Amino acid sequence: MMLEKNGLRIAAVSYDSQEKLAAFAQKHAIGFSLLSDKGSETIRRFGIFNFNMAPDLRSYGVPHPVEFLVAPDGTVVKKYFVPNYQHRVSGSAIALRQFGTVNQDAPAVTLESGALAVQIGFPSAKAYAGQEVAFLARFALQPGWHIYGETVPAGYTPTAISFEGPYVVRQSLELPAAEMLNLPKLRETLPVYSGSFQAIGSLLLKHPLPEGKLVLPGRLCFQLCSDAVCEAPQTMQFELALTLEPFVISERDLNRARASEKKPPRE
Amino acid sequence: MPDKTPHDLAEKAAAMREFGRLREAGLPVPAEVRESHLWATNDGYATGPDPGQKIPDFALPDQFGALRSLNDLSGPHGLLLVFHRSADW
Repeated sequence: MMLEKNGLRIAAVSYDSQEKLAAFAQKHAIGFSLLSDKGSETIRRFGIFNFNMAPDLRSYGVPHPVEFLVAPDGTVVKKYFVPNYQHRVSGSAIALRQFGTVNQDAPAVTLESGALAVQIGFPSAKAYAGQEVAFLARFALQPGWHIYGETVPAGYTPTAISFEGPYVVRQSLELPAAEMLNLPKLRETLPVYSGSFQAIGSLLLKHPLPEGKLVLPGRLCFQLCSDAVCEAPQTMQFELALTLEPFVISERDLNRARASEKKPPRE
Repeated sequence: MPDKTPHDLAEKAAAMREFGRLREAGLPVPAEVRESHLWATNDGYATGPDPGQKIPDFALPDQFGALRSLNDLSGPHGLLLVFHRSADW
């Protein structure tokens, strides 16, 4: 587990009884703590009790699906919340954001054009449909060259990485703060990147998707300039593949879960 | 803030049931049903303590019946504490 390699441990909280959790842990060979908050008192104390559930629904007592990355002293370091309860942020995305960790077998491509080299990769080859996966882009520019950040006037192309195709529901790219470059001859001050830097992006994958190889086409847009010349804007296309793992909880179980919302609570 | 008054709980339950009925029957779920299910389950959602704040103390039994708190759950760099619906359904 990438999180454990980084000195983190995982625990999951639900309103299930200890017996139910014991059965689940055994069936799915769960290697971390499943905590039983029967009666949802801790869920209420965290302020994440879901008040939308009618008391006669089985889902009465569930929390909003929040994940907290907590320091050993109890301080929240990061908080992850995806409104759809089937979607979770991947462990590899958390490891990448917090520690810059990338798996050995992680898929990556290197794009080169003149003074610019960019390596784009996922921290892990494995992913699940419906998951938020992170990607890392390492930029390296030769001395004297720069590319642009946001926001630039018309005529300049800011740096961007985007994934295309029907498999990506939502995406974002966090670039570091650009440095402001003053160009006295042009009477302009422009946000630029030079040297080496990295950016972290995020993709929310569609759900459902078939298991197996998922090829994600993407494009990198940029405009290379030096103090003397400005090249034309460029778009470089690339492909990165992920391997979609089967859900631990099957589609049938998910459907049963929906159906069970019709039934009154059993206990 | 979550609407704690029960006036729209019946409407929300109906939206959840309709979503569940279609999914169970393996029928396509129209966008408006998906939307209203998302509204019904997430309306006024709250996400608890923010980065920089402390989480409340807790002590809960794990799957083996042992009472666990942050102190003995955390690794050297901390704990990922995941709140989820249910392991049973």
